[in-house]
Amino acid sequence: MPEITMPRLSDTMQEGTIARWLKKPGDTVSRGDILGEIETDKATMDLEAYDSGVLEQILVQEGETASIGQPIAIIGTGAAAAAQTQQEPPARTAAASNEQRAQPAPPVSSAAPAAPATSGQHEAASAGNGAIKASPLARRMAEEYGLDLSQIHGTGPGGRIVRDDIEDYREQQSTAQTPATTAPTPVAPTSPTQARSPATPVAPATSPAVPADAEVVKMTRVQLLIAKRLTESKQTIPHYYVSSEVDMTDLLTMRQTLNASASEEGEKITVNDLIMKAAALALEKFPEVNSSLKDDFFIRYKHINIGMAVDAPTGLVVPVIRDTNIKGVRSIARESKALIAKARNNKLAPADLEGGTFSVSNLGMMDASTFIAVINPPQAAILAVAAARKQFVPIDGQPVIRDMMTMTLSADHRIISGATVARFLQEVKRLLQNPYSLLG
Amino acid sequence: MAEMTYRQALHDTLREELLRDENVFLLGEEIGTFEGSYKITAGLLHEFGPRRVVDTPICENGFVGMATGAAMLGLRPIVEIMTINFIILAMDQIVNHAAKIYYMFGGQCPVPMVIRTPGGGGQQLAATHSQNLEVWFAHVPGLKVVAPSTPADARGMLRTAVRDNNPVIFLENLALYNVKGDVPDGDYTISFGQAKVTKEGRDLTVISYSRMAAVALDVARRIEQENGLSIEVVDVRSLRPLDSETIVNSVKKTNRAIVFEEDWLSFGVGAEIVSRIQEGAFDYLDAPIKRVASVEVPLPYSKPLELAALTGAKQLVEAIQELAPRRRR
Repeated sequence: MPEITMPRLSDTMQEGTIARWLKKPGDTVSRGDILGEIETDKATMDLEAYDSGVLEQILVQEGETASIGQPIAIIGTGAAAAAQTQQEPPARTAAASNEQRAQPAPPVSSAAPAAPATSGQHEAASAGNGAIKASPLARRMAEEYGLDLSQIHGTGPGGRIVRDDIEDYREQQSTAQTPATTAPTPVAPTSPTQARSPATPVAPATSPAVPADAEVVKMTRVQLLIAKRLTESKQTIPHYYVSSEVDMTDLLTMRQTLNASASEEGEKITVNDLIMKAAALALEKFPEVNSSLKDDFFIRYKHINIGMAVDAPTGLVVPVIRDTNIKGVRSIARESKALIAKARNNKLAPADLEGGTFSVSNLGMMDASTFIAVINPPQAAILAVAAARKQFVPIDGQPVIRDMMTMTLSADHRIISGATVARFLQEVKRLLQNPYSLLG
Repeated sequence: MAEMTYRQALHDTLREELLRDENVFLLGEEIGTFEGSYKITAGLLHEFGPRRVVDTPICENGFVGMATGAAMLGLRPIVEIMTINFIILAMDQIVNHAAKIYYMFGGQCPVPMVIRTPGGGGQQLAATHSQNLEVWFAHVPGLKVVAPSTPADARGMLRTAVRDNNPVIFLENLALYNVKGDVPDGDYTISFGQAKVTKEGRDLTVISYSRMAAVALDVARRIEQENGLSIEVVDVRSLRPLDSETIVNSVKKTNRAIVFEEDWLSFGVGAEIVSRIQEGAFDYLDAPIKRVASVEVPLPYSKPLELAALTGAKQLVEAIQELAPRRRR
């Protein structure tokens, strides 16, 4: 009897949430039918049937979470006995070959496929995100001091909470209690930060006192992931920022000409497309900027894949345009339009989101005059692009109206130095101010 | 109190026991005329004569059997097996006879016998002459297995072994024979089943025995000076009986533990100690217990390969750095 298990839909996926079921028990299912939708850490994906038959049982309900390989539904032999093509969930063997080492491998669910009875107990786990890992000592200490382990950030292997974390938390608690005497609750600051500024009041996660008229919105998995990655980025990457003003007048003129001459179906080129192209060409000259840090090494990427920050309904996503440097601006325009549409409809596939080596964030269309962006790890830098605004600029001693734009690069100081960043920006600026070089 | 080598401590103890009890006698290969492959028995044939110091043919199964019979009839033989690698030939006598006779004959006939033998690698003696097989014996009820790491412990524990009424495997180590240490005066003995905290510490416990206990103590002292990490070292000294209490109490204090052993990792002494710790100190553990042991290969002859395969100070230091609690690092 074919069991449908939670598929691995992306490299980083460990578990998935059933966004919704499109079939209900009793429905006839043919191979290739879409059974439902699964929300992963990156995107919402269709769950396809690999067997034909009758959907007999749904083991994991909408909104519930299951780890990879865990059975989520059963297709029975209503019709032509679904030719025993059942495969075991993959990736098991790989995990088994590593037996000796006690490395903190991602928790491969060992959920016995023989147990539909387990479906009930996942309700509890799905409320939070899985069981809390803590050393026996940490558990005992938490009990002794009356601490809620879910409020404590684990820094041990695989995020395990260890004694150090309990001690950190208690220290943090005692410092935090001094300014806020009105809050005797032991819940205290929730942020996983090793609080450089414990005086700053941090909103508790399960705030004990939410005003009755306030709306409480549960974060989605994607939002949780974004929150986690951004916090990690700002806390672990030594960010610094270099800005540059660009005269966009010629580029805007060129864009108008290009778009005017485009046929009906021809894709309109946006300013952002041209900026992405300029950044890509500059990255060719500055491989240091197109790199990452891994352990003791700089990883310099051969491909230049630029991610663009898109404001999707579920939160910020950064789909990637591969090999931006060797694509023409028309192709970039076409691709970015398609990616934005996918992002808006929540249809981005993990492949659309992977492999970025640099990012561009553009708030120009919202008239932002200047802003700085948070680096998208493991990348080394992100370019924040503000609006082009008409300004008087002295040219040959005369005030002339030009379209001026401020761009700011946030860079990881471990990877790139200020001088390199300045030179990189100079190159981007040169390209934008000589816009025909982008068409070469 | 006098400073002497591990070798000297063994030699002097054997001599004293030969003097103290005329039922005590020595036997083994090359221990008389040649004065022992490692010179532990130097001068004893000359002093005590061939009835008390017996050179045997190269036939471990035969002379261990002979010692077992002698012990059954009231003598107290001390057997030297040239290295633990050759003890394999006498397995049947040790495991099926010496270890079981007292039990199977309803307690009528104890077997007060000591088998002294050195283990260990690092001397370029290659795969068949460099092993650490003590765990085979520690597994067997009816035997006692002890493995002192200092001249003082060697002396006290060899006395206890000779005076014990059970077969005792007394593990020495080639690389310990020249190690010097202070040895107390007087006829002291050290009971089996008593581990010793050789250095107190707060941040983690290293548990070891025989030569690696000496290396562990060295490493712990050095790291304390260099990094300020406070490491407790437990020398278990006696594998069977094993002193769980001292080990468990130490881990209850430090919450983190490394077992450091020269034998192979799988099914080794460390596996047993880890098990005792989790049974006794589960709620005190802050991290999985680490085992540092030798690479699971027959030990190579080539010096660089031998060094790469054997565990040692370097491997222990790495494990300590990985395991030490973050706030103390």
